[in-house]
Amino acid sequence: MSLISKSRVKSPWLIHFDCGSCNGCDIEVLACLTPVYDIERFGIINVGNPKHADILVVTGTVNHRNKKALKNIYDQMPEPKVVVAIGACGTSGGVFREAYNVVGGVDKVIPVDAYVSGCAPKPEAIIDGVVIALGKLAEKGKKVDQGIFERLEKTQSAIKAR
Amino acid sequence: MVEGLVGVSILLPCIAGLLCFLIKSPGTRSAIIVTTGAILTISALMLFNIGPCTYTPHTILGIDVNLLITVADFALLFIILGIAFKLGNPLVVILTLLQIVPLAYFELKMAPHVEVSPAFYIDRLALIMNLIISIVGSLICIFGIRYMEEHEHHLHLKKSRQPRFFFFLVLFLGAMNGLVFSNNLLWLYFFWEVTTFCSFMLIGHDRTEIAIRNATRALWMNMTGGVAFVAAIIAIYYKTNSVEYLSLQTLINHSPELTGFLLLPFALLCFAGFTKSAQVPFQSWLCGAMVAPTPVSALLHSSTMVKAGVYLVVRLAPGFQGTYLSTMVATFGAFTFLTASALAVNMSNGKKILAYSTIANLGLIIACAGINTPAAIIAAVLLIIFHAVSKGLLFLCVGTIEHAIGSRDIEDMRGLYNSMPAVSRITIIGILTMMLPPFGALMSKWMAIEAAANIPWVVVMVALGSGLTVLFWARWAGLFVSGPQLKQQEVKKESALKATLMTMFRGFYPNAKWKDPASIKVPLVLLAIGAIVLSMAVPWIYTILVEPVVSSYRPGLFVEPFKTGPFGLTSGVGAFYVLPVFIVSIIAYLLAVVASQKGGHRVISAPYMCGEHYPDPTQPKFRSHMNSWRDYLAGNVYLHEFIGEDKISYWINILSLIILIVMFGEVVR
Amino acid sequence: MNTVDVIAVLAAVFLSPLLGGLVAGIDRKVTARLQGRYGPPIFQPFYDVFKLFGKEKMVVNYWQIFCAYMYLAANILTVVLLALQSDLLLIFFVLAVGGVFLVIGALAAESPYSQVGAQRELIQMLTYEPLIILVFVGIFLETGSFKISQIVATYHQPLLISLPLLFVVLGYAIVIKLRKSPFDISTSHHAHQELVKGVMTEYSGPYLGVIEISHWYETVFILGLCALFWHTNYIWMSVLVVLTYFGEVLVDNITARLTWRWMLPHAWTGGLLMSFANYFWIYAKLK
Repeated sequence: MSLISKSRVKSPWLIHFDCGSCNGCDIEVLACLTPVYDIERFGIINVGNPKHADILVVTGTVNHRNKKALKNIYDQMPEPKVVVAIGACGTSGGVFREAYNVVGGVDKVIPVDAYVSGCAPKPEAIIDGVVIALGKLAEKGKKVDQGIFERLEKTQSAIKAR
Repeated sequence: MVEGLVGVSILLPCIAGLLCFLIKSPGTRSAIIVTTGAILTISALMLFNIGPCTYTPHTILGIDVNLLITVADFALLFIILGIAFKLGNPLVVILTLLQIVPLAYFELKMAPHVEVSPAFYIDRLALIMNLIISIVGSLICIFGIRYMEEHEHHLHLKKSRQPRFFFFLVLFLGAMNGLVFSNNLLWLYFFWEVTTFCSFMLIGHDRTEIAIRNATRALWMNMTGGVAFVAAIIAIYYKTNSVEYLSLQTLINHSPELTGFLLLPFALLCFAGFTKSAQVPFQSWLCGAMVAPTPVSALLHSSTMVKAGVYLVVRLAPGFQGTYLSTMVATFGAFTFLTASALAVNMSNGKKILAYSTIANLGLIIACAGINTPAAIIAAVLLIIFHAVSKGLLFLCVGTIEHAIGSRDIEDMRGLYNSMPAVSRITIIGILTMMLPPFGALMSKWMAIEAAANIPWVVVMVALGSGLTVLFWARWAGLFVSGPQLKQQEVKKESALKATLMTMFRGFYPNAKWKDPASIKVPLVLLAIGAIVLSMAVPWIYTILVEPVVSSYRPGLFVEPFKTGPFGLTSGVGAFYVLPVFIVSIIAYLLAVVASQKGGHRVISAPYMCGEHYPDPTQPKFRSHMNSWRDYLAGNVYLHEFIGEDKISYWINILSLIILIVMFGEVVR
Repeated sequence: MNTVDVIAVLAAVFLSPLLGGLVAGIDRKVTARLQGRYGPPIFQPFYDVFKLFGKEKMVVNYWQIFCAYMYLAANILTVVLLALQSDLLLIFFVLAVGGVFLVIGALAAESPYSQVGAQRELIQMLTYEPLIILVFVGIFLETGSFKISQIVATYHQPLLISLPLLFVVLGYAIVIKLRKSPFDISTSHHAHQELVKGVMTEYSGPYLGVIEISHWYETVFILGLCALFWHTNYIWMSVLVVLTYFGEVLVDNITARLTWRWMLPHAWTGGLLMSFANYFWIYAKLK
């Protein structure tokens, strides 16, 4: 078991979801993959599919259209999983916060484990945010090891509430 | 004993067929068919128990049998001539006349009163064919009872035409048995023409325009073979100037100095076999024959009648061993294997895929006969057995599915596992037994490639063709399971073991009921079990059935090409560990079942659709424009741009004609 | 079965995933170095798989689970048969079983990405299967046997010397089989927009881990095939295997993904021409 929990933090695969970003944050996220920062050193791979991912990296504001997609993608990630909100828009909605079509930050739709502020944040900051999220991932991993799944708990509490 | 069994095998189906035609009550008819099937099976097993034997009937009810067959032969040809005039098809008329006139000249002028003794020479290969015809054939006939009821129900016929249908279907069994037993070439020719005639009548059974057109095509192409057959008979007599060589057995075991004289008859007989087996360029008749009701396709056009052609070629093979003709036959067969497999890839019509795959497998058998080493002949005989079972099964599956969903297109079979789990599972078994080790069909392919390895161009064609076969089979098997996981009523599981066993035998939906009637279930289940068990029993099948065939062909010269051991078959150049592979496969299957059945927390999720999927995974949809929910639509790659049927058929026909011309050119020279 | 066979089987079952995982790790490291990056630790593939086994189980369809395990079983059996020095063609056919089940599992999910991936994987199988058979036939023509044990026992010079072109054909087939660029058509790390992850899209968590381990077995099998071309000397054998794999990684890094429309005709034409040239050479030598 300890081998698995050790491996969890050594192999975080992340999926990057662009909610409604101006692409500034996206470019910084991708910069992390380049030889200068090379996040693959930490075993991080940018995957294209929530089903393979451990970390959901979200950039941009959430609006009424893409909040469904964001929720769906989050739900399709197997546990344990963590979410990192990137940039001013991702964390709070940024300058678009009061716009009629904007819901707000990522945490309005799904639980966020780490916030990276900045407009746009530097790659170092993003890597920092991911590393903080990794700590949470390890904690959540322990629960999964004990057979406690957040998804299951939610359904059960929903059934009880009914 | 032998005479009784031979009589039963040939005459009983004829009588039963007549009864089916005369008795209009469906219940009695079903009883007749089932009883006939049972008796045929028992008689085939008893005959097999006796082993190779000969028998010469002299009179039936006081009439000379030779005379009877000659008269029947001409009667049949004149009936076909009449039909040809009715169809208004000059080609068929000419081809029929080309048979009547030379045959009359031969029988009246050249060699009246041909007596061949023994008239029936039932060798090992004939015994195997007899088993296939009697067992697989009977199962297919039984399947036909219920199938035809539904078929006519769909067509809204006022007056049932089933008596006619079963007359030809059951009669065919007798003709086919006669064909494989005959030693007298004239008798063989008669039965040959009877099967052609049955095939014609059954393809045109539904009397639609397309059915009649395709039946006519089948008729003229098979008649070409008939003409070649008559020509072969005359050529044998002309070249050797004796009727002695009209005996198949003498013809094969001719003295070596005669080989040069007999090459032309051999080539002509092989040509007749090619037309019967729908080899390129005659492939179009078999594909056209798919308009017939499914039992016909299963019985005549995959597991038995088209096997008559390859039977003849394999039987003759020792006669032309080591000649130029042999290499050409191998080339021709391999070419058919490659091209028919390519054509099968771009078919989406399930029955056509099966048809082309049948042609391809027959081509492979012919290639093996042409390679003509003991190992190759063994591969050919094994392939005849395994192909008959698996392909018969697959046709019946497609027939059942077609009645359920009203389509034979494989694209419409997507996700069928969710609505018809039992039939889908059996179809998948059928497909896997055709394409994967350790099943028999693949083992024959292994033998074929090892035997062909010394003729590079043959092995190249076989290699490319076998790549293509994997493509179309795997795609089809995958389609069946392509769907969401449906929610099931909880089954009461007492134990994990029970749950596993249930999954093993009843799949992932243990609650689902299989609603088809017994006459459909029994043949499907028996054939599926047969396909698996036969493959597992390969070492025994090899020792009991196949090896004697080859050792009897080459007495004295025979060096056993394969050795059976506790693990499977080994040859001088290779080894196929059937049983270990089987055991590992079974263990893997069990583990996979346990893994998929194991409880615990497991999420059923919708497929990844970029976050736009419908929340309920049992309904595969995605959010489209204006927030509307749309169904997915996926399609297969058919490689039309490379090997579209319309694009390459022309070139295939040209090339195969060239191979045939080269074959005959060299033989005539 | 004697003791040597038992040891070979055990080694094949238990050591080859270790070897395969290590090769995958080195592959990633070398790739990173070629791109001017530092790269992940060598043991990264093991971390990945362990992590996958700790994930929540998520499937679209139970068939996926079944197919993933069948894929693993077939690949293990391939390596075991190779270790037992069995029949080349038999090994090849068992390898095809794995491929077929991977495709069936991918087709089982109705996702467009895994469907496209499955169709492409089928075309990749269609492309490399004949090539591998041609290579095996070449080996037979040269040595007179399909059985590895017999080849090793009776043929005493490196196969590479008499079958150089067939080795190139094999290299071609390996790139396609290992789904490396330019033939990472059915699944790719880099084709997020077009394929997501192709055949692997719908496998996740432990089942993806199973697929990953099967892939390691596959790698070991492929390396074993290469090793056969210099079976006389272990040092040269290792050199050949290392060079071949490095070549594959190099090709992976310096080429861009091609379409299957390019791959199929070119691989077949090139493969056939080279095979025939090599066959003729064998014949000429015999005469």
